[in-house]
Amino acid sequence: MPIRYFMAILAFCGIFTTTNAQASLKLPATIKVDPAALEFEPMCDPKIPASWRKAQVIEGVQIEASEQCSPDNPYLIAAVVKGTNNISMNTLMETGLSPDAVIKTDDIDGDGDPDRITIKLEVIELNGRTPDFEGLVPQFEIAPGITPGAWVFAPKTSGMSTENFESLRANYLLRLPSPVIRVEVGDIVQIVVENTHYFPHTIHLHGVDHPFSHHEYNGGKYGNDGVPQFSELDLMPGQRRVYEFQARQPGTMFYHCHVQTHTHLAMGLAGMIIIEENRPNNWLQTLNVGGGKVRHPSVAVKEHYDQEYDLHYHAMDKELTQIIQKYNDPRLIAREMNRRYDMTDSTEDYFTLNGLSFPYTLRESMIIAEPDQKIKLRMLNSGGELVAIHTHGHHATITHYDGTEHNPMAWITRDVFDMAPAQRLDLLLDTTNDGLHSYGEGAWLFHDHREKGITTDGMSEGGSMSMIAYKSYLDEVGMPIAAHGTDLSIYFTKEYYQRKLPIWQHMDEAGFLGPPGVRSGFNPETKATMINLLGGFIAGILIYLLITRRQNASAAMASIAAKIKGLKGGKANG
Amino acid sequence: MVKYLFIALIGLTVSSTTAFAQNTADHSGHDKDHGEHSGHDHSSDDHSHDHSGHDMDHSEHDHDNDDHGGMDHGHDHPMDLPGEHGMLHHDHDHTDHHAHGEHHHHGDGHIMDHEGTHIMGQNFDKLPSSCSSISEDIEITVRAGRKYAKKFPGTAFAFDQQEWRVKPCSRITWNFVNEDKVRHQFMMHGLPRYLYPLGMFHLENTGPRTVTGTMIVPAADETYLVHCDIAQHMEKGMKAQLVVGKGGENLPSIPGLTPYVLNDIYEAEDLPKVSDKTGTGGKNVKPITQQITDFFNDNVPVSSLALIGLLFGFICAPLFARMVALRKKEASNTR
Repeated sequence: MPIRYFMAILAFCGIFTTTNAQASLKLPATIKVDPAALEFEPMCDPKIPASWRKAQVIEGVQIEASEQCSPDNPYLIAAVVKGTNNISMNTLMETGLSPDAVIKTDDIDGDGDPDRITIKLEVIELNGRTPDFEGLVPQFEIAPGITPGAWVFAPKTSGMSTENFESLRANYLLRLPSPVIRVEVGDIVQIVVENTHYFPHTIHLHGVDHPFSHHEYNGGKYGNDGVPQFSELDLMPGQRRVYEFQARQPGTMFYHCHVQTHTHLAMGLAGMIIIEENRPNNWLQTLNVGGGKVRHPSVAVKEHYDQEYDLHYHAMDKELTQIIQKYNDPRLIAREMNRRYDMTDSTEDYFTLNGLSFPYTLRESMIIAEPDQKIKLRMLNSGGELVAIHTHGHHATITHYDGTEHNPMAWITRDVFDMAPAQRLDLLLDTTNDGLHSYGEGAWLFHDHREKGITTDGMSEGGSMSMIAYKSYLDEVGMPIAAHGTDLSIYFTKEYYQRKLPIWQHMDEAGFLGPPGVRSGFNPETKATMINLLGGFIAGILIYLLITRRQNASAAMASIAAKIKGLKGGKANG
Repeated sequence: MVKYLFIALIGLTVSSTTAFAQNTADHSGHDKDHGEHSGHDHSSDDHSHDHSGHDMDHSEHDHDNDDHGGMDHGHDHPMDLPGEHGMLHHDHDHTDHHAHGEHHHHGDGHIMDHEGTHIMGQNFDKLPSSCSSISEDIEITVRAGRKYAKKFPGTAFAFDQQEWRVKPCSRITWNFVNEDKVRHQFMMHGLPRYLYPLGMFHLENTGPRTVTGTMIVPAADETYLVHCDIAQHMEKGMKAQLVVGKGGENLPSIPGLTPYVLNDIYEAEDLPKVSDKTGTGGKNVKPITQQITDFFNDNVPVSSLALIGLLFGFICAPLFARMVALRKKEASNTR
């Protein structure tokens, strides 16, 4: 009888181990993601007319060609070159600007261009919360499906904050980064901030020659430096303030909010401001919304360069940007941002060039080159850490540090450009194919060489990466042509940045490196659990039997004992 | 010993019922709000000669009567205010702005002046197909600004009123008074598209300024959304509704009127208070009630769980009683 039980247990164990051995012999197959399951966005924004890319003249303003697939609106360029007060209503209606957004008057020095420039900026929240539904308004994607909450200075607009009543997408003028501002040395500039936001803000003109206070203004009550503790009180919601200056020195400078600067700057209230050298008949592109190519460069820049680009690098912490998406009550947002958010524990997650991350940088922030050109690049780093921008295929030359010209005898030519937070560099990119300045035509990457800078929330390829693309390497819509001929469409899916797309699938037919499926049979953890469960169950039954059949058991024990004794006795007897 | 336990139990019951009462009070507040709405709905018939929701103060108009568009170029120019224009502009003459600033008509009742004052969807005389005639001519003044958000905690901008009630087929002249120094809008949606481009009637300006526009509402009982579409202005309080006739469904998240769809969570914060500083040994002896509340706050865990427990206890108590009774019965039976 006991031998029978023993055999049963042995058989059970045998079956168990063999099934396990079979499971580890058969590993799961690779799963292939069907492209039909993905939501592909058009690589080029279909709403932007192709005609915008051509060189053209609007309102007498010469506008250079811009071969990228999302060029700046040429009517907008005409409006900000002439001033919204000096253009036809039809042109203005094409821009969406408020008629008082950029006012240009008075040629004081008689050199053929206006010298009083009034620029009106509003403060706009992007990707904020609404109490009405789960979703963000107005929506601005920095990459497919990536919508960090942000604040920007925006040119004063007219009408809706979204594209239309049905759409949640932001009006094209409301975007990251805060717009690039361009004025001339000697211009009497007024930057009028109309605080349309629910928090207080100011503007600090970093590097721009501006008086600390202007005593005639507001009875000397307010300064002009934007610092709430020392120069002026915070500009409260619904209020307006004028910042004035008449710069004596040119250069690539920086403006940003100085209220709770650690968060407000990181949220996006930061932009480039460029003081151009004074020249006769110098009608400037006062705003470069979204940065990138300057389609109407200044007279001084055209003296030395064939093209000009504004490149604004920024970085944002996901946890910070989510605060305005978690709460609607401004008091709760203030509590979280001002008192609970600890920037010393923060990490930056989103890295942008001109407000966008790869692949959207390819739509509008590529440097589009031709051989033997001299291209001026103005760069700003408004992120919280140093960046190290590397240009593939090119060594560029630093001509200006923080807006001040470097001694031309000591100019440095290199291929990594480090910028501390708030620093600016002016670069001369020479596309002469001499093996030093350029290695020839191509679709060359230029990117932050801190490797996280080429990720979007840790997902590569993303971040502030863009291209120096020669015209011969552009397709008909303005996207770079890859040498191997495959397209970039997988980057234009939300799923890619949701980490749901295996990276090497398109070239891995056999699926050596794709995602494995689920293993059949028990995995070791489940097995352990099952054994424990079974053991416990059996033990329970035994204990139950032991208690209920106590007498039987003791009788059995007694008989066993008797038998053993009997055996012993027998032996002894024998 | 039993006595003390009994007292403690009563204490627990009292404190938890207090919490319960607070909760129910909150709810009843909510319910009351709803009650008020339905009250409004029922009384909408006699509302037409009440006009409590309408500001009929004509003296407030600062727009020229002959300026049909209701725009006021010269005299309410914020840039003319001393000090507003800055030191470098004192001698600057604004006529060049004004020469340019004649207002522009775009058809479809769309008018805009040189400073972005905006009228869209203006309609003086085109009757909606559902109306045979204009039922009444009314004039409503709407004020917009930061200061109207004061009475609604958790908002930043608001209109002075959150609801207007009008008769079907009324012709309304809206005077939109923006009291802030930034842009605000009075944007109405959902109107018939054959009369109003995109179904919108829209007034917009940069304050302090007034803009006036006229429109005719259709005959159907309907509730129209009125809001400011500048980013986060509606979300942070600048939202209202126009109720025509008996109205339709209420819109959500109108300050003081309708609840949010998505709510924030509020929690107590440990912020410094004057009473902490004086302490118990200070001159200010706390009233006895304060001491009792403090005692229970500190010693009796009152939470929603306690409430549920209490409820459970109440439900189960009769069962226990019955079980005891049954036992006794069984005992007596066996005896």
